Amino acid sequence: MHKSREKPEPFHYHRKLSLQLFFIATIVFLYLPIIVLVIFSFNDSRRGGNIIWRGFTFDYYEKALNNAGLIEAFANSITIAVISTIFSVILGALTAVLLWRFRFSFKPLFEGMVSLPIVIPEICMGVSLAVFFGYFGLWAPPGTPWPFNLANIIIAHITFSFPFAAMVIRTRLATFNRETEEAAKDLGATEFEVFRDILLPHMKPGLIAGALLAFTLSLDDFVVTFFTSAPNAVTFPVKVYSMVRFSVTPEINAASTVLIILTVILTAFAMRFQSFRETSK
Amino acid sequence: MTVKPIISVQNVTKRFGRFTALDNVSIDVMPGEIFAILGPSGCGKSTLLRIIAGLEAPTEGCILLDDADITAMPANKRPINMVFQSYAVFPQMSVAKNVAYGLKVQRMPRSQIDQAVAQALAQVHLTEFRDRMPNQLSGGQRQRVALARALVKRPRVLLLDEPLSALDAKLRDAMRLELVHLQEQVGVSFVIVTHDQSEAMAIADRIAVLNDGRLCQVDSPEGLYQRPVDGFVADFIGRINLFEIKALKRDSGKVIVSSTEAGDVVIAASQAPDGIAADGLVMAIRPEKITVSLTAPITDGGTVVQGTLGDIAFQGESSIVEINLPCGAALSAFLHDSDCAPLRQAAAGANVWCHWNSGDVLVLARSAV
Repeated sequence: MHKSREKPEPFHYHRKLSLQLFFIATIVFLYLPIIVLVIFSFNDSRRGGNIIWRGFTFDYYEKALNNAGLIEAFANSITIAVISTIFSVILGALTAVLLWRFRFSFKPLFEGMVSLPIVIPEICMGVSLAVFFGYFGLWAPPGTPWPFNLANIIIAHITFSFPFAAMVIRTRLATFNRETEEAAKDLGATEFEVFRDILLPHMKPGLIAGALLAFTLSLDDFVVTFFTSAPNAVTFPVKVYSMVRFSVTPEINAASTVLIILTVILTAFAMRFQSFRETSK
Repeated sequence: MTVKPIISVQNVTKRFGRFTALDNVSIDVMPGEIFAILGPSGCGKSTLLRIIAGLEAPTEGCILLDDADITAMPANKRPINMVFQSYAVFPQMSVAKNVAYGLKVQRMPRSQIDQAVAQALAQVHLTEFRDRMPNQLSGGQRQRVALARALVKRPRVLLLDEPLSALDAKLRDAMRLELVHLQEQVGVSFVIVTHDQSEAMAIADRIAVLNDGRLCQVDSPEGLYQRPVDGFVADFIGRINLFEIKALKRDSGKVIVSSTEAGDVVIAASQAPDGIAADGLVMAIRPEKITVSLTAPITDGGTVVQGTLGDIAFQGESSIVEINLPCGAALSAFLHDSDCAPLRQAAAGANVWCHWNSGDVLVLARSAV
């Protein structure tokens, strides 16, 4: 007993009971709601409410799969996320290299403008984009073939996610040893070969992290999407929102669970890829 | 002169904005020699190396390679390769791929690349490390990769930027010798930038001393040591005692030099620059030319100065002895262990006499450029 009252050594703080409890509480508050959501996706309850356990069933997964509107929204979300991620990473990489490599007048101003979408309230961005599309008549008319009806949302998503990608990629670039670039040039490499063989491999973890960030930002965005989506182009979060307004059914839980599993798999894959690269370097 | 320089730097000036990094520097590098560019940090030596490599363009002047002007030729076209200070090994490529890279971008056939890489790796004793990644190598091994990577291109000239500064003392000595052996083996000229005069003295055939962007002197290590052009070079190359000269008197083939520290010293006229102006002149004497004794020496000429014994720094086979002069200045003498033994017995502050021959005195401009 006497020993445990002594001041713990720096690396032994995890043995303190108070810190252990704090840690457990954090985990519980973070993950309990998600676990409940997943469990109740198997709940055999007929009506909404969805708070009393009535037995195990896969019915609602089947129901969600057969809900054409939900599936369409899901497909829209994935499509938007993929396309906006590709553009965000390209734009973000170009911006990062520009800011890292070159000096030009008004650079601080440009830098501030690029990172503005990160700090600007999402609601303001949503409204301004809606007004912008409306003013210039850029709303896709009803009957526009898929996926062109999603163009507005894709543009909006690129607008707010590419600064994040740029930030992540730029952080990676900061650790680049400029002498390796000069060494490659000295060994006879052309400007393009230096980029392909030296700079790009160094940027790769940043590009992957940036892509992952852009993808998740796009996939779960509600506010900006809500303001820029037409009735014929609805994403998964917007669809779920409209379904919840009528009643919370296990169907929504089921669809959300699928989304969670998808995100976890994707993240695990990206992390694994990154750690594999670290060890092989 | 029948031998033509391989690299000729002609009147090169480099300005960064209002800062002049190099001021009208001209040097010639001969085929097959180790040429060192020596100077304190910030003297422009790395800039000069980068200009030769083509990574930097001179503001004025030109670079000749075998008499052909290559000033406008980009770095990736020059048959000159460089070993960078950070080694700049490509972290995402294995040792063999690092070495092969320069040949790959010049589109050499695969079989020839493999052969050349194997040979280069053998040259730097890295054959068994060919599949390692750079983060699995020590600093010394990474430097060997950088060396092999540059040498495999069979450059006309190999440039090395502070090649030994990042290694620990023991490895540095070994690597010094190895660089010299390697140069003898491959036969190409090495141009080495360093701030370490002992390193330059040990490995270079000729040394260019740079200060504040200006070229002070180009000479062999012995030449620099025996015949420095000015006080800066004398002070930078090895240890030296420098005294301010107050007055200079000429008297039938002799010159009488007056200084506060050493009093009047009579030297031969050939040892002093022309003229009688003492402004900007210093008198220099190497520490190893000074003998120190506990009794007044019996001499036929030369200079005797009395002082008190200061610190003795033991260095193995020899010691550096400090003597405090009455005027407040200190004198260093470099004594062999046997000469030093009686001094070590004596207490600090004991009276000692220093003696040197007039012929060993150098009278130099404080700064010639």
